[in-house]
Amino acid sequence: MLSEMTRYLDRLLDLLTGRLSGGIILAICLTISTTAQTVDFDHEVVPILRTHCVKCHGGIEAKGGFSLNSRKLFLEGEAADPGNPVDSHFLELIRSTDIDLQMPPKDLPRVSTEEQLILTRWVAEQMPWTNGFSFSQLRYQPPLLPRKVPLTGSPETHPIDQILDQYHNTNKLPPLESVDDATFLRRAYLDLVGLLPTPEQLQAFLANRSDQKRSQLIDELLARDLDYTEHWLTFWNDLLRNDYTGTGFITGGRQQISAWLYRALIENKPFDEFTRELIAPESGASRGFIDGIKWRGNVSAGQTNEIQFAQSVAQSFLGINLKCASCHDSFIDRWTLNDAYSLAAIYAQRPLEIHRCDKPINASAQPGWLFPELGNVDPKAPRNERLKQLAALVTHRDNGRYTRTIVNRLWGQLMGRGLVHPLDAMHTEPWNEDLLDFLAEYLVENQYDLKAVLRLIATSAAYGSRSEVLPQDPTNQTDYVFQGRRTKRLTAEQFMDAVWQLTGAAPTDFDAPVIRGQTDLGKDDQGTDENPATLRGEWIWGDSAADGKAPPAGEKLVFRKTVHLPSKVTTAVVTLTADNDFELYVGRRRLATGKDWTRPQTVVITKNLKPGDNDWIVVAGNGGASPNLAGLYLEARIVMEDETVIEVSSDASWQYSERLPTVKSPGRLGKPVGPWRPVVLLGRPGVYAQVNDPIRRGLTMAMSSNSTMVRASLVKSDFLMRSLGRPNRDQIVTSRPSELTTLEAIDLANGQTLAAALQRGANQWTDSEQSTASIVRELFQFALSRQPTAAELSVIQESLGHEMTAEACEDLLWSICMMPEFMMVR
Amino acid sequence: MKQAASLQRREFLSKLAAAGTATLAMDAPRLLAADNPIEHPAATADSCILIWMGGGMAAPETFDPKQYTPFEVGLPVEKMVSTFPAIDTAVDQIKICEGLESIAGVMDRATLIRSAVQPDLGSILHSRHQYHWHTGYVPPQTVACPHIGSWMAKVLGPLNPVIPPFINIGQRLEGVGEKEELKAFTTAGFFGSEYGPMNLPFPNEAAKSVMPPDGMNGQRFANRDRLFRKLIDRSPQRDYQSDYHQQSMLRSLDNAYRLLSSPDRTAFDLTQEPKESFEKYDTGRFGQGCLLARRLVESGARFVEVTTEYVPFLHWDTHAEGHNTVARMHREMDRPIAQLIRDLEARGLLDRTLVIIASEFSRDAIIEGTPGSNANDQATHKVDKLGEMKHYGLHRHFTGGTSVVMFGGGVKQGFLYGKTADERPLVAIENPVTISDLHATIMTAMGISPKTGFEIEGRPFYVTQDAKGVAVRDIFA
Repeated sequence: MLSEMTRYLDRLLDLLTGRLSGGIILAICLTISTTAQTVDFDHEVVPILRTHCVKCHGGIEAKGGFSLNSRKLFLEGEAADPGNPVDSHFLELIRSTDIDLQMPPKDLPRVSTEEQLILTRWVAEQMPWTNGFSFSQLRYQPPLLPRKVPLTGSPETHPIDQILDQYHNTNKLPPLESVDDATFLRRAYLDLVGLLPTPEQLQAFLANRSDQKRSQLIDELLARDLDYTEHWLTFWNDLLRNDYTGTGFITGGRQQISAWLYRALIENKPFDEFTRELIAPESGASRGFIDGIKWRGNVSAGQTNEIQFAQSVAQSFLGINLKCASCHDSFIDRWTLNDAYSLAAIYAQRPLEIHRCDKPINASAQPGWLFPELGNVDPKAPRNERLKQLAALVTHRDNGRYTRTIVNRLWGQLMGRGLVHPLDAMHTEPWNEDLLDFLAEYLVENQYDLKAVLRLIATSAAYGSRSEVLPQDPTNQTDYVFQGRRTKRLTAEQFMDAVWQLTGAAPTDFDAPVIRGQTDLGKDDQGTDENPATLRGEWIWGDSAADGKAPPAGEKLVFRKTVHLPSKVTTAVVTLTADNDFELYVGRRRLATGKDWTRPQTVVITKNLKPGDNDWIVVAGNGGASPNLAGLYLEARIVMEDETVIEVSSDASWQYSERLPTVKSPGRLGKPVGPWRPVVLLGRPGVYAQVNDPIRRGLTMAMSSNSTMVRASLVKSDFLMRSLGRPNRDQIVTSRPSELTTLEAIDLANGQTLAAALQRGANQWTDSEQSTASIVRELFQFALSRQPTAAELSVIQESLGHEMTAEACEDLLWSICMMPEFMMVR
Repeated sequence: MKQAASLQRREFLSKLAAAGTATLAMDAPRLLAADNPIEHPAATADSCILIWMGGGMAAPETFDPKQYTPFEVGLPVEKMVSTFPAIDTAVDQIKICEGLESIAGVMDRATLIRSAVQPDLGSILHSRHQYHWHTGYVPPQTVACPHIGSWMAKVLGPLNPVIPPFINIGQRLEGVGEKEELKAFTTAGFFGSEYGPMNLPFPNEAAKSVMPPDGMNGQRFANRDRLFRKLIDRSPQRDYQSDYHQQSMLRSLDNAYRLLSSPDRTAFDLTQEPKESFEKYDTGRFGQGCLLARRLVESGARFVEVTTEYVPFLHWDTHAEGHNTVARMHREMDRPIAQLIRDLEARGLLDRTLVIIASEFSRDAIIEGTPGSNANDQATHKVDKLGEMKHYGLHRHFTGGTSVVMFGGGVKQGFLYGKTADERPLVAIENPVTISDLHATIMTAMGISPKTGFEIEGRPFYVTQDAKGVAVRDIFA
């Protein structure tokens, strides 16, 4: 192939020096233009120009007045004539042996024969140029070091507002206007815990006269660990491309970090520690992030696990896009192929051969990282050591890029747009450098506490101001000026959670392999009688488990207890698990299910209990293929109006039957039938000890947060959520779509998932037999955090009547959920 | 600059100086889209139907018959090539396999490409090759790649504004193996879901997708919409009435309502088809899918994919029992495909509708991937000699030569392009067509330049890989 190329080039050179006749020139030009492989500008031409020419004729340099930054400039310099290699002077200069004439000048390396051939063919093919591509340097060079921003405003003013006041003065902008309390409440709830405030919470907030109530609210919301975790899980799953199902799992080529992540969020693990555990995992629990997705079969050199590692670390933590540089020197920022491979080599356990556009260049990568000015990894150290060194460098006190990247993401989450935007273009200029740098340092000063940064942003007057109304599509806006927070569309998860809040249609089980509410209980909490989380029950089963016998595989039993309540209930929670599966029914309605005994389920059943007798039924089944251990365990705490606590546990007061009641409709149980026998007590066998803590945590958490609705972030993506923009997490995703598409609108208009949820909700709302007006009032308060206006109420009454049927209520629910006011966080 | 070698360097540079300085002072814009704008070719088709034979349709068992080897106990496997005899078609020099008699009758409307080739991706995983075929890019990729239907939706838009431009018939995305892998390419990727597929896995339930939800009659549906509009009109949040995002959201809801209440939606409803016509297609889900595709194209669909459905180890994915399975596939596909072509022709639509039959790769009895590949042998009944019927058929994944059939939409009629060897290995030996070039051909027919690109995350991303696809000009009429 090479000799063929040389021969070809020889002929071209003959042509260029006029050694051939016109007829042959024509023939060769034809040969050139019909060569099977056309020249690839990005991957073949750019590197040559960059190596040999751009230093003097690109960027801000234009030696001799000649710049090849763009095709236009290239041609204006009359250095080339597209389609006509003979008359393209730059080729002649490149080829020249005259030391006065040649390019590059004599002291620089020559352009090789192969490279000349490519350039010649490129000219012959009309010099194709990638649209928008330019060699011009990016004007902005992002700083690496952190910077302390002195505050100059009044110390009573919130730091963010001090900086923004100055910005507003400089840019002669009108001051921001504070938003009303109700909008603020809804915004803070959705932004910080991803839920709608209930009508009660709304009323309480509006009635609160304290001038500190907004910052108090922010503190309260950030203290709701469970709700905070299950909301921010979505953000982190997107950013760390973690999911419960997806590409790669089928072949075991991918591992979840869900359990680790969940715990890190609930504990609010300091972000530097969090980062170090992801980059240099000490256990398998967090290593899925650096291991990426192992595909079966061959993958391109730019997508090996090592390169994925480099891309993920750079994007997630540094806002650097190494995807271009994984294949060739980036055209859009300063990163080179070598940078990407060096970072990858830190992770690599084999010599990593550098590939440029999938072809080896006969060089292997040396481990090294992107900002050697902060220090570097020892290339000779073993891999785990190198990863630790990298983790230390990423989280280095002087790495301002790292802290700026995360605070920018948090600002984007709360304010609807980044200080640097897009969020992953951290090489571009922020619209307010002081603010970015201030937030970054604030994170460090607060021991990398992410909640502290969220609190700071959310307590600013800027966050509490009215959202900007945008007359036009902001996507391609280039001259951004901050004029307030931007409205955000509910994510797929927020939308589902909100619908489930309004309808009670949340699923009873979830997919994330986590124990909800998991935190470390302090030592003091264990085993004291006063602690409501002290375990009281025993594992129970039927006669098949008597005398240490193993119950048969597939055995299904019905367990029952009648719980008598002397008065109204304030809070009631149940935590239970069964080996192997269970369904819990209270008042014949299914409230929880579980299929994994290691994951006890917790539900709040306050609304399902009534004074007097309450029937509790658990249908539990044994699994396996041959007789094996089976059991059911349950703990419940019911707080009565007078604050006394009734404890219900699986114990000798339970009975069981072998006859299964019919299931009347999904989630509804028929009348259970006996004969009833006393259960067999199994004690608390050692093999089940691992769930003791999760059960106690579940009880504690549920009693304090008063809601354990399964959140959308914990369940696998389904058709509707995918339609609403929940991504396939094969790639890192750092922002969700802001627009509702027609296909989504169709799914919302007639999809069965939403329709079923609304139907269920409508039945509940109309069960209460309130008038249309009172349902509408409550719904509006819950969904939109405001009262309906008289005009709205009368429209609804005209359409649906004063007494609402379930169908009418369903249509009302749909109409409310489709309002932009509902679908947006304003 | 017409003057050649003699110009002195200093002279050259000084000559440049004047012009160059002036240009630089103007500050070169970063976006140079006007520099060499893309010229789209003139379309020869307005709609496209992709008939997708998911699972690996064996060319020697369908459109590229080789030496027929009847079943015989003890026959060495390497002697087994086609397990169906060749039959004549409406075109003299084209023969296809027995079992495809109806299609044989319309081959005079077809261009048959026998030399489509795929890269060897090491371990042959259907979904990776399907991803490659549907997006033009080999996974994994650093960005979510759009499906070719999404490219058409994005660049061309809908043909009829109420019919979604990209409709995907017959493939379940839940409850089947490799569903996550299927979802990864059944998407608009970075274009966003506006350009994504409307999925209709069960053709006979397609009507439901464009009807009000179960249990809601048209009257109630209309009332619900009216109530919604009134609430929007009376919203006290006046200042948001002009908000871009609010406007855009309401527009989408409005579009959805238009489709769900438009008379055109009857296109989705197979019960509207006359009985005799329905029966001509009805060989099962796939046949019904072909009928639905025809009805949708008649109503102005842009891109419709209809598949025999990919389910690991089922249908075309014959790791054993190949002959019998393929015989069943023949029965399922033969009548409806031929009927589709005839119906489109009778309605004057074939000229402007490109119909493509394709699969992610072919099959062979002994070679996995391409000759010399180290890909895993995934046949489930590995024998040297035929013992039972289940051994009879092509049970390995072959990427060296695959058939693609195209009808209508500006391609030649009764035309044969490319060739595979008659003896093993059955690789393309004439005019190999890569996926990039095949896509370039399809896009060219649709009036989309193979060099069409969008910038995503600073990277130019093209409809054919790195804008390198070149249309196979020879097949255009």
